[in-house]
Amino acid sequence: MDQETPNARAFEFAGNWREFAPIAFTNLLLTIVTLGIYTFWARTRERRYLWSHTRFIDDRLEWTGTGLELFIGYVVAILLFFVPLALLQFAIQALAIRGQDGAAALLFVVLYVAILYMVGLAIYRAMRYRLSRTYWHGIRGGSDDQGFGYAVSHLWKTIVGSMALGLLVPWAMVNLWNERWNRMSFGSYQFESGARVTGAVIGRYLLYYLVPILLFVGIAVGAYFFGPALSGSAQQMQVSLIIIGVLLYIGFFVVLGLIAVTFYAAYFREVVGNLSLGGLEFEFGARTKDWLILFVVNVLLVVGTLGIGTIFIGYRNWAFFVRHMQAYGMLDLDEFNQSTTREPKQGEGLLDAFDVGAF
Amino acid sequence: MSALSEPSVRVWHYDGASGIRRDPMMVLAGDGFVLVEPDREDGPYAFADLIAQGIVNGHPRFGLAKRTGWSMTLTEAAPEEIAARLPGARRYGGVIDRIGLWPAVGAFTAVSALAVLGLMTMPSVVARMIPRSVEARLGSLMVGDFGERACEDPAGAAALQALATRMQMQDGVDLRVVDVPMVNAVTLPGGHVVLFSGLLRQASSPDEVAGVLAHELGHVENRDVLESLVRQLGLSVVLGGLDGNVGGYTNALLSASYSRGAEARADGFAIDALTRAQISPRPTALFFQRLSKSEIKVKGADALLGYLASHPMSSERERRFAASAGKAATAPALDAAQWQALKGICGAGGGTWKRSRLGF
Repeated sequence: MDQETPNARAFEFAGNWREFAPIAFTNLLLTIVTLGIYTFWARTRERRYLWSHTRFIDDRLEWTGTGLELFIGYVVAILLFFVPLALLQFAIQALAIRGQDGAAALLFVVLYVAILYMVGLAIYRAMRYRLSRTYWHGIRGGSDDQGFGYAVSHLWKTIVGSMALGLLVPWAMVNLWNERWNRMSFGSYQFESGARVTGAVIGRYLLYYLVPILLFVGIAVGAYFFGPALSGSAQQMQVSLIIIGVLLYIGFFVVLGLIAVTFYAAYFREVVGNLSLGGLEFEFGARTKDWLILFVVNVLLVVGTLGIGTIFIGYRNWAFFVRHMQAYGMLDLDEFNQSTTREPKQGEGLLDAFDVGAF
Repeated sequence: MSALSEPSVRVWHYDGASGIRRDPMMVLAGDGFVLVEPDREDGPYAFADLIAQGIVNGHPRFGLAKRTGWSMTLTEAAPEEIAARLPGARRYGGVIDRIGLWPAVGAFTAVSALAVLGLMTMPSVVARMIPRSVEARLGSLMVGDFGERACEDPAGAAALQALATRMQMQDGVDLRVVDVPMVNAVTLPGGHVVLFSGLLRQASSPDEVAGVLAHELGHVENRDVLESLVRQLGLSVVLGGLDGNVGGYTNALLSASYSRGAEARADGFAIDALTRAQISPRPTALFFQRLSKSEIKVKGADALLGYLASHPMSSERERRFAASAGKAATAPALDAAQWQALKGICGAGGGTWKRSRLGF
């Protein structure tokens, strides 16, 4: 059986929502009757389905994570991080109530820094966990790095990124992406990521940054010229003002959301496009329009089903991701041996607890 | 080498060490099976160690216990002798697969109902098991001395003491006024009752303050605060597993419904205390009437808001206090001079902030 499949995409998603629906609905049912504890097993079932319906080159992916390890990871995260955080919060309140504002403020800063550090650690660890449970050709990914150094980097780059009025955010995002992936491996091959802040990325970010200001000026000018043209009774005036206000409010977020999507599309194309593994180069083909359709349909799906559609969101996002992933080049299978990295024992507990995404 | 006359089936195989795919024959060998290639033979393996991984691309795939990465995919239909010994697919997870989906749903529902019941009743049991001394230590840890915000004008403090005596406040309850511009009062663990200066400024008579104080003393008597702390802790641990908002909403709903019960009990205690002290409950009713005007009023949504609120609706509480007014003679909770002193307990600058505050 040959490894080459000419004229076919390297990635293919062969799932189908009718096949997935029984999994999604029974997951929902079991999660409800177990007061949420089944979530971890539900997520495992969902991933097993999605991974086993994803073809890469000549074989399907395999998810070997278990619900139990996700559950243990969650419990560990609660005990190690959230109990101390709650105590710290308690201490802040106790200090503030005693009028020790300075000490309270200091402790608040410490708390904030600690949380930011742990968010970085959580993102890194979740990625490492997911790679270590993803098998292809019987080979898994992983990392020997525990992520403490990455978390420090995440901490200071996030802080620096938000300085200069947030203008350095794209730099921080791209940099951290490289740092994360350069520490990861799959089998005997190391991932290499050399993404840079390109003109397209920074340009769209600047657009995102400037549009609120332009909109605000535009509205002020509009109000100045067209305000007097509005006439009628006081009540009519009030009604039309409310309508205009609501429209502007919605419009603001729609426009801002649109530009945020254009930025994210450019960012994701850039970072995935500079990722390589062994002799393979990756590429992500989704344009702004594709992302937009994904988001809009996701929202309609959730709203239109009064929230029940949420159970299909993970499926849709994965399908979107796989359908737009591309890989070129060759992977030398003779050199492709099992990963020697340490397998993490627990799941992505910290990440669950912080409620942030891994990619 | 095993005789190929044994039942066999062609499989794809990864050994979990190298990424190269092999195409051996799976051949029955005694109790287990071996994987046979022209130049090598792997095994024997036990059927009991096989883990069904489901149907991948139309073919059943199996892993091996304790050998992650090892897999075997049947590329054709297996002969009956082999097929009968292959493990069945796992679907929902260990226990559920053994007892079936619907029995499992029933069992989980029953256990969850018991757990919720436990969460509703256990906190009061646990709270009563915590010794008073531990509660007192926890309370003083939370309260501290309020630093510069504590209101300690001597004449005001004397008036406050007079009010406490009139309300037959127990020994060991620590009653204080703190300079915070909120129309509110709180009870903290260990019998610390704190009146905010905003309440004293808003109140139009000492009887109103007496009513609010009596309500807080009801919380002290029932040890409500400790119970709600224990409950909050239990709920957040148990419901933490639910994804994001669902857990939060359930938590809020459960604790609010409990808290309304506790508030209603504290109101009952307050009405009794006012009657015993021969203080009219009407001013307290008027106080709630004023409060209810400032609450969000949406026609038809009243009932819903009332259900979600942690306190009963002010209008409901107003009616209850007003209805309790009897024909017995009553006297003001404090005389005019004492009332003025109490209002001035925070000094001349009372009600304004002495220093910048830190918001959380």
